[in-house]
Amino acid sequence: MSIRGRALVMGDNVNTDVLHPSQFFSLDSDRVRAGFLQAAAGYESLGRSNLSDCIVVAGENFGCGSSRETGARAFLLAGVRAIVARSLAHIFSRNVRNLGLVAVECPDLYSLPDQGSEVEINLEEYKLIVSATGQSLSINRLDPYWEAIMKSGGLMRFLQYSE
Amino acid sequence: MGRTLTEKLLLGKGPPRAFPDSAYFEIEVDLVLGHDATISLLIDRFERVGGRIWNPSKCFFAADHFAPPSTPERADILRRYLDFVEAQEVPRDLLYRGISHQLLVEDPRCSPGMVICGADSHTTMAGALGTFATGLGSTDILALLLTGKAFLPVPDSVRITLVGKRPGWLFGKDIALAVIARLGPGGAVGRALEYHDLSEPGVPIEGRMTIANMAVEAGATNAVFAPDEILVRYIEERDARARRFINGAGDFTREPVWYYPDEDAEYLQEITIDLEDMPPLVALPGSPGNVVPIDCAKPVKVHQVFIGSCAGGRKEDIDAAARLLSGKRVAPGVRLVVTPASQSIYEDCLRSGAIEALTMAGALVTNSSCGACGGIDKGLIGAGEVCVSTSNRNFRGRMGSPDGLIYLASPLTAAAAALTGELADPRPFMGFD
Ligand code: SF4
Repeated sequence: MSIRGRALVMGDNVNTDVLHPSQFFSLDSDRVRAGFLQAAAGYESLGRSNLSDCIVVAGENFGCGSSRETGARAFLLAGVRAIVARSLAHIFSRNVRNLGLVAVECPDLYSLPDQGSEVEINLEEYKLIVSATGQSLSINRLDPYWEAIMKSGGLMRFLQYSE
Repeated sequence: MGRTLTEKLLLGKGPPRAFPDSAYFEIEVDLVLGHDATISLLIDRFERVGGRIWNPSKCFFAADHFAPPSTPERADILRRYLDFVEAQEVPRDLLYRGISHQLLVEDPRCSPGMVICGADSHTTMAGALGTFATGLGSTDILALLLTGKAFLPVPDSVRITLVGKRPGWLFGKDIALAVIARLGPGGAVGRALEYHDLSEPGVPIEGRMTIANMAVEAGATNAVFAPDEILVRYIEERDARARRFINGAGDFTREPVWYYPDEDAEYLQEITIDLEDMPPLVALPGSPGNVVPIDCAKPVKVHQVFIGSCAGGRKEDIDAAARLLSGKRVAPGVRLVVTPASQSIYEDCLRSGAIEALTMAGALVTNSSCGACGGIDKGLIGAGEVCVSTSNRNFRGRMGSPDGLIYLASPLTAAAAALTGELADPRPFMGFD
């Protein structure tokens, strides 16, 4: 499996309060969607735009902080295709994967690609490919548990519950 | 090979692996912590699968985020949650009694040796009581409520030893910040922090709660204090009191199981934090990792001081602020918001006179709840406003406007800011020079 998209680039230690401020905490999907990136300086209008061709590419400890799953859901509602980061915060990585989003770690991702450049996550060879530079970096192999969840499309499907 | 404390807590019952070559185990959970904000997110899905909670008596559910609600939407969310709790026959004695994490450590249902998962990142706090305690998101909790199990990896541990004679001005908050500064905000991602307190006279249990609470600010999966006399005494006194006051508390008091790490356990890293002469610390706005000693922080005018949250609203914190402010007045124009972490702390501080002293000094005392901490209500900050807070996160927008600035500090440092209207070293006000 391979996922291609336009890179939405973010830095190190980006926390969930910035990704999705608590003022947008809601049971209403439209309101949750509206909060995406609304406390991330310089990303506010990007957050509101159509992101259905985007892959989030980030630095270290991406998604640290609160466990509020509205933050993770906002990524899906915004249409983000996948997340690749140098490292992912523990709860956040579980949240997005449990909801069926591909989220992987690429420890060698030291220089982040340009905003909007084309990237590809190849899940057969576990590679991140940056088209503009031809750069190809190794992605950490997912634990068999997460591989199974990814193949099922999320935790509830993996456990064979139909929602 | 020896085992760390976290390995013993998680692998004690010999849980099966998720897959033969997986690092994840299917672990039986002893207690599930929840609250109105995060449990409400899973109710629709829970009902769609037609579920019942596997064991309602193992649910430890509070109403703390929207308590009481500040908007009609939040009232609706809270109502949805309360109806769910009632329909699922989850115990309702904790509702409106304070912040879930604080209620957990006060309650005999939470006992050393347990595996606890909570629908909130600061669940790590219960590790101060020798438990494995970690936060999970709503989907993980949804599955856990249906099955009683969670798929967890066993994190490698960083061993942290506290040594030295602790100065009277040093609080759990200062120590928590020192640890985050040492490890970095992402320095413990996916790891356990295993604490050994050899300092003199030993960090009080309340300070340890703050330290375990803020382990997640370094990215840790959990933090656990190796049991010692301070913990044993706390548990004995707590449970004896509960037995006296709550009829039939014996039904839910599980005998503590005291795990200790093996001497030949393997650690990823071992660090020592010397408390001797450590100055009060403060985290500058933006990240709990921006730590500087208070005497190196640039002076800044303060508009709000918040003493509250699961990381800074305990009796010790409120008493300390009352000691500094007793008989004095908060600087003109400064909003001092005091939010006890639980109603029983509130009651204790009423009895000790701390609430009266603070009110007379000009504090606004609110009911126990999350309040200003998560930018929920009762003390949000506006653009350009500066808040000194005893809570655990100073991320952009955390307490209101993205253009507000949050400094994290101990209750003494926060009280000094309230008194002077500026970020200030509290030591001169307490006779420590
Ligand atoms: S007090 Fe703050 S950190 Fe603690 S549970 Fe409430 S919102 Fe979260």
